[in-house]
Amino acid sequence: MKYSYIKPRAKSVFTQEIQLILSFFTMTLVMLFLTYAFLLYKNYAFASDKKETLQERMALEISLEEMKEKIVFIEKQKMLSERVYTQNSVLKDSIANLFDLVPTRITLSKAQLLENGLILYGITPNKDVYNFMLQAPLRSIFHRTYSSFYPAQNGWLRFVSTNYLDKTEEESIDEN
Amino acid sequence: MLGKFFESLYLKVIVNIVVERSRTVVYIELCSKKGVVSAHQESFETLDINSTMLEFIRSYTNESPFSYISILDSSAEQGAIPTCSKNRLSYYHDLSACEYKCFDEKWITYTSKTDLYTIEKRYKEIGMDFIFSPFSILSNFFKDKVNGALGMYIVVQDNYLSLGIFENSELLFAEHLDMEHNADRDEISLSDEITQDDIELDMDKEIDLDDVEVLDDMEDLDSFGDIEDLDSIEEIAEFSENQDIEEEFYEAEEVLAESDEAHFNEDYQRFSLIKSSVGNFYSDKKYESQFIENIYIADGIGVSPDLKHYLEEEMFLNVYIRHVDLSAELCELSKMELGL
Repeated sequence: MKYSYIKPRAKSVFTQEIQLILSFFTMTLVMLFLTYAFLLYKNYAFASDKKETLQERMALEISLEEMKEKIVFIEKQKMLSERVYTQNSVLKDSIANLFDLVPTRITLSKAQLLENGLILYGITPNKDVYNFMLQAPLRSIFHRTYSSFYPAQNGWLRFVSTNYLDKTEEESIDEN
Repeated sequence: MLGKFFESLYLKVIVNIVVERSRTVVYIELCSKKGVVSAHQESFETLDINSTMLEFIRSYTNESPFSYISILDSSAEQGAIPTCSKNRLSYYHDLSACEYKCFDEKWITYTSKTDLYTIEKRYKEIGMDFIFSPFSILSNFFKDKVNGALGMYIVVQDNYLSLGIFENSELLFAEHLDMEHNADRDEISLSDEITQDDIELDMDKEIDLDDVEVLDDMEDLDSFGDIEDLDSIEEIAEFSENQDIEEEFYEAEEVLAESDEAHFNEDYQRFSLIKSSVGNFYSDKKYESQFIENIYIADGIGVSPDLKHYLEEEMFLNVYIRHVDLSAELCELSKMELGL
């Protein structure tokens, strides 16, 4: 103030128009930042969800593998059970057939099933009845048949018939 | 820092108001760092601020937050004192109700606090940033002269004369003269004593200044008694040696307004006031009186050649008149305040 009696009023660039523009820009910026923050949060939430989903997927994949293994195991069990069932059926039929083979004149006292053979204990009136009525059908079934007799007290003969299936033939049957 | 940066982006709008007798002149400059971008001037037939003027000013001030309003102080209670020493101020004038401003630690300008308040209140709608004294304009306008030999410098406004006597940048004497106020006080009442016919008659046969009865104040001046001795050719030749040749060239380029009746009345009144002030300067013991040879007039209204003739013929002064655009000078002061 070299010449003037009064001091000039303080000047500010922030006129009403500038204040309006600034408030508008501030609001816009705030909204942009809020949107940005919201997007960041959503991005973080999405990444977190994705991570969880991947973990779940991995867990599910692991569980799927386990279930597949179980299925395979169960299928194997099923096949085995079917096989056992089939074998049992075959065995049952074989036993039924075996007992059907036994003529009424021969009485069996014991039958012992082996893995690849059959041992029959019993009593026959004579060797001929045994040879013709029991041994002949057994020979048609088993590969090797051995018979031994010893006399009983009432004059009949006790017999032990040992019959074997050869292994090779058995395996071929299994494969079939 | 940020404020300076923003300030550089905007134009500075400098509004300068000069209140004349019956109208208000508003001069507006739009300035950038590089200089003046545009200037606009308009005068309004009002002494107050009216809606047209307000609209005109606002149409520019709304363009920039850095708008400055300045006004030329029109207070009748203003003046200048040839000292800055607070102890000596009261010797010249009672400044208890005045605001004052010291220049170069040599002299002060003062004005009434009440008038400053009145101005600020009158222009409260646009606000006020600077109020300048006509003496500031005087010293700034004649800055190439005031630092030289002794001379009288006058700013002529519609209603006022601001008169200062400077020697080597030091103010010796100053008076702010209100034409209307002084017209009542003056013993010479043009309306009463000089009729229109008389004036016309005088105009026809050229004024004989010796016949004009305005020398009442001069009776107090012993020094003027010696002026009669200067009538000899030799003495006048000595005067001519002190003439400001440079100023004469400058003045020759300007065309003074033609004399008419209205100008005659006013210029005669101005002449009377100037003469009275010179008398005060010579007679008042407060001031260190020295003989004035040159008088420089900053003409803000377009005075007639009569004033120059009166002063030259009646008071034997070398008179130089420069035209001044007060509003533009006011703008210069505003720019100096703003450091532009």
